[in-house]
Amino acid sequence: MTLGNVRNLYQQVIVERYKKPRFRGVAEPVHRHHRGHNPSCGDTIEITVSLKLDDQNRIERACFEGEGCSIAMASADLMAEAVQGLTIPEALHLVEQFQGMVKGEGSFPPEQRKLNVMQGVAQYPVRIKCATLCWHTLKAALEASTPLGVSDFVSNEATD
Amino acid sequence: MTLPTTAPVTLADRVRADFPILAQSIHGQPLIYFDNAATSQKPRAVLDALTAYYEQDNANVHRGVHTLSARATDAYEAARQKVARLVNAGRPAEIIFTRNATEAINLVAYAWGLTTLQPGDEIILSVMEHHSNLVPWQWVAQRTGARLRFIQLTPEETLDLDHYRSLLNDRTRLVSVVQVSNTLGCINPVAEMAALAHTWGAKVLIDACQSVPHMTVNVQAIDCDWLVASGHKMCGPTGAGFLYGKAEVLRAMPPFLGGGEMIADVYLESSTYANIPQRFEAGTPAIAEAITLGAAVDYLQSLGLDAIHAYEETLVTHLWKRLGEVPGIRRLGPAAPHRAGLVAFTLGDVHPHDLSTLLDEAGIAIRAGHHCTQPLHRILGTQSTARASLYFYNTVVEIDRFIEVLQESVAFFSGVFEEG
Repeated sequence: MTLGNVRNLYQQVIVERYKKPRFRGVAEPVHRHHRGHNPSCGDTIEITVSLKLDDQNRIERACFEGEGCSIAMASADLMAEAVQGLTIPEALHLVEQFQGMVKGEGSFPPEQRKLNVMQGVAQYPVRIKCATLCWHTLKAALEASTPLGVSDFVSNEATD
Repeated sequence: MTLPTTAPVTLADRVRADFPILAQSIHGQPLIYFDNAATSQKPRAVLDALTAYYEQDNANVHRGVHTLSARATDAYEAARQKVARLVNAGRPAEIIFTRNATEAINLVAYAWGLTTLQPGDEIILSVMEHHSNLVPWQWVAQRTGARLRFIQLTPEETLDLDHYRSLLNDRTRLVSVVQVSNTLGCINPVAEMAALAHTWGAKVLIDACQSVPHMTVNVQAIDCDWLVASGHKMCGPTGAGFLYGKAEVLRAMPPFLGGGEMIADVYLESSTYANIPQRFEAGTPAIAEAITLGAAVDYLQSLGLDAIHAYEETLVTHLWKRLGEVPGIRRLGPAAPHRAGLVAFTLGDVHPHDLSTLLDEAGIAIRAGHHCTQPLHRILGTQSTARASLYFYNTVVEIDRFIEVLQESVAFFSGVFEEG
């Protein structure tokens, strides 16, 4: 079969999460929120984060809404799951680790090993921005200190 | 005596070897290049013209009296004549070299639109326009108070001519429409539309990016005021496109960019300007690219634009029919053969970007995305589409291979979906 090689990219989990996402929706009450958009491909994402509001402000729940390819949507679903229970500095560290992994720099330790299914993206440089848009957007949401304007969004098309 | 049973020699059979880039493999599979609406490949004759210019004639134009400068100037002006003949312009001075069609539209928007339009004036565009024929007019409308009106689609996903007629009125100052949609593949009746616009005294601009490379386009038969195209979609290099304008229309327009080449006399406080076409070509132009575009025009004319169009019609008829066999497909635009040689489509759950990655694995290059027609995609109810766009070097064999991999891709995704 001609398409055998792409199985490394389209791991079972990725296609499952694309087809049946578990974290699609809005995390309420919304404490953090940001939009992401990659204009050249049209992928859009909206991340909402609900915090525990104790002394550590741990992430109670993260959710996403958006439209895009299976890589972008599965990445968002896996991300929302992975950041549950993390503090904001821990989640921001995870963002950095993920961005490194899809560039071929290392992989996740056992407690976050589910994210390693996205490693195949490193072999498809043009698709890295699909996988990282949600992470880029989560970072913006967690770092945001001002309310979002109607046209504000982040993009990783110019920087990645 | 029996007739030979071999297939007739097609245009692609004759020209295929002219394109060095097509003789390669991608991921171990022969390259099938179906992204011609984005940019075309270049034949050897065009590549050689670019090299020959830099090896033998390189100099600035319209400035020096030395031999190289004269040669470069002659070649540059000869290229203008070639483009003028290609679109049947009345004279070479009606062709302005620009970076691409986008720059040509912006030239008209700034030099004519901003200086001419008044509050209440109306600009008619269609909903299928490329962003390059939307954004400049949005700016013009915002800055002049002119109003944008949009021609809608018929149920067959073609331009609604009756709706267009209903939009025309005595406030209409400009009709700016695409001749061939890069997404729907429909061929718009631009000559009829121009005639209607002129009865209301409106000017007409035609975006001919997807028509000039593929069929005979005659600016005098269309009777448009302006027409724009990009060289890189017609076997030429990037960085060279053109604006055709009727001489009297161009002469009545103020300059766009200021600088060298476009002047008559310059004083410290004021200047007078050159006649057309130089008035609109400030600064050192893309000399090598314009000359190379001239070589591309020679190449296309040696094949014949009518022959190219006829061959592409047989190709797209085959492509349209074979795509129809793919389960879950939605093909955009009118049915073949009354369409240009490109088909945009969606495939249910299979996102165009995922599809494009799978096809690339098999050496097949298509475009996935919104093709710079986001408003049209919204109207069609989809965020993005996949698009296969053909040129005269493509073959029926390539189309059949494309369909085979497309079917495999659908099976691949439905397989993993079902397992999940």
